[in-house]
Amino acid sequence: MDYEKMKKQALADFAEYVGPMKARTMKNAGLDIIEGRREGASVWDLTGKKYIDCQTGSGIMNVGRHNREIAQALKDALDTLDIGVFLLCSKQKADLAKKLAEITPGDLKCTIFGTGGGEANDAALKLARGYTMKKEIIYAQKAYHGHTGFALSAIGRDAYKEPFEPLIPGFKMVPFGNAQAVRDVFTKDTAAVILEPIQGEGGINLPPQGYLQEVRKICDEHEALLILDEIQTGFARTGKMFASEHWGVVPDIMTVAKSLGGGIYPISATIFKEELMDFFVPHPFIHLSTFGGSDLGCIVGLAVIDYIEKNHLAENAARMGDRFRVGFDRFLKDYPDLLLEVRQMGLMIGLQYTNSSIGPRLTKKLADRGVIAVYTGNDPAICRFMPPLVITPEDVDFVLNALEDSMRELSKETGIGKND
Amino acid sequence: MATKEDILEALADYQVQCNNNTRLRRMQRDWSKLIHFLAEDTGDYFTMDVVKGEIVSYEAVAKGAPDIIVTTVSENLCDMFWGDLNPSQKYLAGEIKVKASQEDIIRLDAITMIIWPDV
Repeated sequence: MDYEKMKKQALADFAEYVGPMKARTMKNAGLDIIEGRREGASVWDLTGKKYIDCQTGSGIMNVGRHNREIAQALKDALDTLDIGVFLLCSKQKADLAKKLAEITPGDLKCTIFGTGGGEANDAALKLARGYTMKKEIIYAQKAYHGHTGFALSAIGRDAYKEPFEPLIPGFKMVPFGNAQAVRDVFTKDTAAVILEPIQGEGGINLPPQGYLQEVRKICDEHEALLILDEIQTGFARTGKMFASEHWGVVPDIMTVAKSLGGGIYPISATIFKEELMDFFVPHPFIHLSTFGGSDLGCIVGLAVIDYIEKNHLAENAARMGDRFRVGFDRFLKDYPDLLLEVRQMGLMIGLQYTNSSIGPRLTKKLADRGVIAVYTGNDPAICRFMPPLVITPEDVDFVLNALEDSMRELSKETGIGKND
Repeated sequence: MATKEDILEALADYQVQCNNNTRLRRMQRDWSKLIHFLAEDTGDYFTMDVVKGEIVSYEAVAKGAPDIIVTTVSENLCDMFWGDLNPSQKYLAGEIKVKASQEDIIRLDAITMIIWPDV
């Protein structure tokens, strides 16, 4: 089979029928990859070139690319099941909801299932308004919660929103990390505050010490709800099953998606405290999803959680994160004109470069060297590394070597430096 | 057959059960309805006024323009207000007729589930 020809045709068809500008942007970034084989932390282009995937769809593949155990769980389920009829009660939904109640912090207990992160956050925001009978939602600058209606209204980046305005009213934006700013905009009509414990798309922004605890306190004082979006941070990414555990903060509603499906099947969950179920008792059919929490998706979700627990992926995320950190600390000393700061928790990593041209250029150089790591949409001066949590020490070293070679090469080129 | 007085006594208890249930009150705080109950075997009418989840009044007359009309035999009305029967099952068996939106029918069932979870 002529894989070069197949790839060329696939890229041409993609450009013509799906997205010409996306195809062009990927090509320019050296990411005109057509994924073929996938395994562990690696993906092979159709032509056979191997890459370490540090992008993973912004954290979908915590259990690794094409995890065979998860794939087998889905294959087995397909022998007898389909997605199920969403209107009926389902053993698979019940099993996964029960498991989510067991592994999520505090007294989070009940679940609404969906298919993706935006849908999960839509459900969370609707529940917050419905339960509290208040209207206002506070969200953070640079936040990312998805591109659907309610979620889009809570995105902290104008470029995603402006073409579609007017959006849902009652949303108030505040700087991330500033609890006083949250307090300042609170009113008696505030239903909820929605935050990512660590901002992903925003540039891997870690919360200052005490921030999440203080926001929790403010919500309690005003009988408003705290929604934590753990869509990127959840399922062991940061070294604990959920990032909020690092700060001991239990939200009223937690949203998860991405890695719950193991990169095999789309599923999301909006998990909330039992008292909030009182909103759904008189409105049991007010928020439905045809494909959300399908029987197949729930089986995959359970297999994913089982795999994470059985293989101690949280611990591996912490260990491999530490291994990365040793290399990054060296790069901070050796390449101060390129690398300004490293923001990291486990395998949720953001490299802050000194200027915005570096992100795209390093992305290209890394791709040339067999590493997929992409600058963030919010800021091209920040590169996000979110490899699978099954990544091995050898793979980490490969990525670090590729990054060092790329930085060394880049440092010799023109147009680089803090003042450029 | 239950008398008007029997049903009023059951209604008095029902009002206490509903209004003293904090969870129910919170859950129903967005619900205001005027409900008529008709005992079809005796011809007695009862009106219940629910304002923001609180039963503010009930009386043995047909009063105002109802949002919901519940029709059944007097014995069923009495048992329903005492929590001695599952109104959904009677509704599905055709023994209780409800003229209301689907959402309001679910609300009525939700009230029963909260105050008498075992019924």
